[in-house]
Amino acid sequence: MGRIKKKGQSGAAKNYITRNQAVRKLQITVYLERNLPREPNNRKKANKSSTASTTFYYAKDIQYLLHEPLLQKFRDQKALEKKISKALGRGDVTDAARLERNAARPEKTGRPPYTLDHLVRERYPTFVDALRDLDDALSMLFLFASLPSTPAVPAKMIARCERLCLEFQHYLIVSQSLRKSFLSIKGIYYQATIQGVDILWLVPYKFNQRVVGDIDFRIMGTFVQFYMTLLKFINFKLYSSVGLVYPPKFDQNRDESAAELGAFTLEGNAAKALADASAQPMITEGESEKSTDPKTQAAVNKLIKQMKDTGVDGQQDVATTSTDAEDAAIDKFEPAAPGGDILPQPVHSSGDPGQLFANCTFFLSRETPRQPLEFILKAFGCKRVGWDAVLGDGAYTTNPEDPAITHQIVDRPIVQAAQDSGDNQTAQKLGPNQRMPGRIYVQPQWVWDSVNDEELKRPDLYAPGAQLPPHLSPFVQSTHGGYDPTIPLEDQEPEEEALQDSDEELESDEDEEEEEDEKADGDLAGAAADGMDVAGSDDDDEDEEGGEGDTTFGGFSEGEDAEADDAEAEEEDPELQYQRELIAEMTGQPVAQKPALNPKAKAKADARKKLLAQAKEEAEDIERAKGMLSKKKRKLHDQMMYTNNKKSAEDQKLREKRRKLEKQKARQAPA
Amino acid sequence: MAPRSQMKRKASTAAAEAEAATFSDDEFGDGVLEGVLSDDSEDEENSDDEAEDVDGEDEEDLDSDEVPSEPDVDEKDDDENDGPRYRVEKDANGGERYVYDEIDPVYDSDDSDAQDPENTIGDIPLKFYDQYPHIGYNIDGKKIMRPASGKALDALLDTIEIPKGWTGLTDPATGKPLNLSREELELLRKVQMQEIPEEGYDPYPEYVPWFTHEEETMPISAAPEPKRRFLPSKHEQQRIMKIVRAIREGRIQPYKPPEEREQDEDEEEEMYDLWANEEAQPPHVMHIPAPKVAPPGFDLSYNPPPEYLPSKDEKKEWEETDPEERPKPYLPQGYDALRKVPAYDTFVKETFERCLDLYLAPRVRRTRLNIDPNSLLPKLPRAEELRPFPTVGAVEYNHGTRVRSLAVDPTGQWVASGGDDGAVKFWELRSGKQMASIRISADEPVNVVRWRPGSAILTAAAGQDVYFIIPPMLDQEVQQANRAALDTGFGYATNGKQATLTSNGARKDPPGTWARPGARLEDQGVLLKITVRADVKVINWHRRGDFFCTVSPTGKHSAVAIHTLSKHLTQIPFRKLPGLAQTAQFHPSRPLLFVALQRTIRVYDLQKQELVKAIQPGARWISSFDIHAASGDHLIVGSYDRRLLWHDLELSARPYKTMRFHPNAIRQVKYSRSFPLFADASDDGTIQLFHGRVHNDLMTDPTLVPLKQLKGHKVVNNLGVMDIDWHPTNPWLVSAGADGMCRLWA
Repeated sequence: MGRIKKKGQSGAAKNYITRNQAVRKLQITVYLERNLPREPNNRKKANKSSTASTTFYYAKDIQYLLHEPLLQKFRDQKALEKKISKALGRGDVTDAARLERNAARPEKTGRPPYTLDHLVRERYPTFVDALRDLDDALSMLFLFASLPSTPAVPAKMIARCERLCLEFQHYLIVSQSLRKSFLSIKGIYYQATIQGVDILWLVPYKFNQRVVGDIDFRIMGTFVQFYMTLLKFINFKLYSSVGLVYPPKFDQNRDESAAELGAFTLEGNAAKALADASAQPMITEGESEKSTDPKTQAAVNKLIKQMKDTGVDGQQDVATTSTDAEDAAIDKFEPAAPGGDILPQPVHSSGDPGQLFANCTFFLSRETPRQPLEFILKAFGCKRVGWDAVLGDGAYTTNPEDPAITHQIVDRPIVQAAQDSGDNQTAQKLGPNQRMPGRIYVQPQWVWDSVNDEELKRPDLYAPGAQLPPHLSPFVQSTHGGYDPTIPLEDQEPEEEALQDSDEELESDEDEEEEEDEKADGDLAGAAADGMDVAGSDDDDEDEEGGEGDTTFGGFSEGEDAEADDAEAEEEDPELQYQRELIAEMTGQPVAQKPALNPKAKAKADARKKLLAQAKEEAEDIERAKGMLSKKKRKLHDQMMYTNNKKSAEDQKLREKRRKLEKQKARQAPA
Repeated sequence: MAPRSQMKRKASTAAAEAEAATFSDDEFGDGVLEGVLSDDSEDEENSDDEAEDVDGEDEEDLDSDEVPSEPDVDEKDDDENDGPRYRVEKDANGGERYVYDEIDPVYDSDDSDAQDPENTIGDIPLKFYDQYPHIGYNIDGKKIMRPASGKALDALLDTIEIPKGWTGLTDPATGKPLNLSREELELLRKVQMQEIPEEGYDPYPEYVPWFTHEEETMPISAAPEPKRRFLPSKHEQQRIMKIVRAIREGRIQPYKPPEEREQDEDEEEEMYDLWANEEAQPPHVMHIPAPKVAPPGFDLSYNPPPEYLPSKDEKKEWEETDPEERPKPYLPQGYDALRKVPAYDTFVKETFERCLDLYLAPRVRRTRLNIDPNSLLPKLPRAEELRPFPTVGAVEYNHGTRVRSLAVDPTGQWVASGGDDGAVKFWELRSGKQMASIRISADEPVNVVRWRPGSAILTAAAGQDVYFIIPPMLDQEVQQANRAALDTGFGYATNGKQATLTSNGARKDPPGTWARPGARLEDQGVLLKITVRADVKVINWHRRGDFFCTVSPTGKHSAVAIHTLSKHLTQIPFRKLPGLAQTAQFHPSRPLLFVALQRTIRVYDLQKQELVKAIQPGARWISSFDIHAASGDHLIVGSYDRRLLWHDLELSARPYKTMRFHPNAIRQVKYSRSFPLFADASDDGTIQLFHGRVHNDLMTDPTLVPLKQLKGHKVVNNLGVMDIDWHPTNPWLVSAGADGMCRLWA
């Protein structure tokens, strides 16, 4: 017999340690930033029967972390802090100052005393891994770029974040890899595809961020440090992949005058250029050649380089390169024989979305958000974006009367009474409602909708002061049976809802009709009474119908379709009528009055009855089959049905709302 | 006012006091002079006098120990202030003075500790106010009037004795006279004389010689002085020289020059391609990438389709729910222009929460079944393919009272039912016509009716009696044959006299007494009666029609009895049963008897007289069971705990399938004798029909398919359907309900 096993000495109890234990073991107060926590298979065992809720770490993970060189840095830092405080306590100011000079001050420099390069590499062994995890990093850095500086968030850090973000935006502009964008209530979502990886991030609107609740900026700070390192390396890699020098030249003066994107000067990679053995001039936006846009140059540069790369000797005709391009284009695979699986294939779009705005010159009015518009326009091929001088430096033109401008983006209501006072403080030389001829005025949403649909939308829908069409998220994939606002209601509502809907309509119609009928009855009291009283003959029914027809001229006229329905009803009628007569004969009573049902309503009722029966049958079948499931599977089935029902209930609610709104609209339209 | 100023003084230090004293000595005097100069010139001499007076009084007061007993003059002034908003009055100096109404701080006003007005002018010299009648403002913004001084004071001094502790000084903060207690004055004196202010401190205590001043001739330790005490260490020298050399050579830099550090900070860190030699590694098994934030839906749009905007009720509901419990953390909003979109309130908070999720939440891989839930359901054969089976109620037989049992006769022509009224009623199956009604018991309900296989003899049990009934509607020939079958037993010696002796010699009751039931019943066709020891609840015939078993659950050891019709013999096979017997049945082909106890079904071999098998359906309380007639290896069991269990005897003692479709107890289960069907009757008033095909191939499991729920019986007193029986040749089912109706389902 072996030794008696003691409780808590092996297994989960030993393999997992709590968060506090881990922190104590690592001797740090810095937050354990990595995603180390693990969920033990058996919480009770890992927690040694305690019921306190804690986060668990795998003991070996922590053991591994103990060898992390960063930890030594943290400890050194802590020791230094202690030394300084000791020196100050002794009153030895010079010593403290000397020590202080050795200490790194991240709040001053915005940079920690350690580098996180190895962590980035360790966590993302390949570049694609890093791209895949870029969503959070970008969202966070863009947020920090717009935060006000506080002791917890030093100004240097904010500046670095902003710079990294702008550099990344420059890459997106050059590589034209921005795909979609969405204006939400939270901020602006962007989606880019880099090396086949979709990256989605959120940029807040340019407002002062409200810091509410219990927010620990130290935790966010560690994340931002890591993300900054990550984005730095990613930027480097991306820039070098398109043959640009990283970091791009940064003009402090222009940045201070709010040039933002314009503060950077992209340069082609000299080494690469030399290797190409073609003396390409370094593309700079020198003071002398202000007219040429750096981005244009960069794009041209890139194009030339691509041609060089693809071409065998750089002397090929343009025609051959174009045929090359055609060869390189994807072929469409059509299934030759039925039965095979269908593989998803990349869509071959005819137009290049990256050149959407290539032929346009934009001017942004001063009330529009300049940064996102500038970025998105440039990312979709626009070379010339100008804006009002109050929006900052770096505009293509600040003159609103520039004849080159084709589109002006305006976000202000139409002023009713034109005042000629004008505000002289800005360079607003045009009157409030004055329009430059030959220019398209649109609201900002036009840009976003055009980008998402990859075509220039009709500008009249987006004219200033117009009721904008709803802005739809391009990220929603419509699921079968789910509600889709782009499709008309009739195409997506299930049968029963449609029936119910038409019933309601009918009811309301009938109400109206009844009223009118009454009126008509009053008019033609005698005739109608005759029609009613004569009963017991074959012709009765027709008579009655005729009577109905008679009443029509009294007050109301049915639509053509209603008449068609009538005709259909008549086809069915003879059989029914015959049966009724038979019954009447047997019982010795006069033929029962045909229920005065609108034939349309009758058809509806039939359809509804049929549907109801079908639904009932289906439900019975499902119930039957469910009985044969094991308990576990039945529960699973119930759960799935629950979630599905919940979702479909939401969809139904939306459909209902839309139906109501449409009805309201329809009612208002004629009035 | 006096007590307050004293308190204040106690709080302040002695030094401050001294300072105050000096301040008032010089500055106050100056201030007065200045103020006078600027104010009005005629008071010049007077004020001079005053200053001198004050000085003189100071000294006087320092000496005097009297405590001031009277409040000051200006308090009197205050008392006079009564007016609408403010009044212009003359102050002590004869100048104009604005008097404002006192604000009465009511009980629950903010002014909890109503203090005397304190000057709020801050740290500016009081002399700035010399030209004004007031010396500052209290916390309410009201003027603090200058206390009376000068001529008025002189006049007063003449009349009033100098109070104790009166110093003649003015508190610079309040402008009120400063009173000092005797101790404080003493303290001041000591400070002035440069004595030590503490009471009882002795500056020259007696010297205590703790250490001797005499030098001892002998050292405490005789050890010679070590060399290191007077020679510099060579080792240290070496180490120092090493460092010095290193510094000279530039290997060690004690610290970077400051300008270099500055540069270092600004300099961009070096750039390199981190993924230059990347190689994809298989991820760690425990590595789970963070789930991405869900992409925004239509409802997040700044200008969503109008149906996404919440209605008033929805908005209210959202606002009323706890932030933790909201299905979505945001409320869809619609703006007609981009410029109207405000900042998102909780942006930073949401980002922070995302951070917390990323590093604090353990990640678990969950497989989400993204499949159609209906694909889980087994493909059942369509009900149409499994026809024929009963679907609708065809004929009703109205018994009148609760029907406890019913049976279809072997020819399939008649139905017999027995109810609470003690009557057995015969019906024609197809027409529902009542053929006969025989009341076999006046007070006991008829618990069970069963036909004898192969002939038209009905056995019915009421109370402890089992009756044999030949239905009167049969033709005479058949009746005669049946009479003969019943009468063959008479004359056997065992009849009625089979009583045995118990161990103690007493005569034991016979287990069953076979007798004629009496003339009245005999006329109606009831020819034979057996009386057993307890109420009979179950009768089941052997297939040959000679034996039948009865079960009376309350009968203890005689609960199960086997009767032989041909010999009019009653036997009790079990001396003792390990539980309450519920029902019993003969095996359709082999000499086995199945006895259902409360929880188990025990199979006995009647020839070998031994237990063959114990089946454990796992139900808490078995109500009924039936054996598959064709194979004999399959068993269905119904239980009061709502379960219907299918047993394959070859397979295991445990059920092959458990079906729980009833919300209430199951009373009766029955296999159809000619079709692969079985049905159960439940207290919820429904009968459930199943298709149950047993294959000849041993390897194939039986196919069970739920077919139909027959609803029609009403639930009375929590009882629904009491009994069911299948038609022998057709796929028809008859059922007996607690509502007094019997139904034929076809």
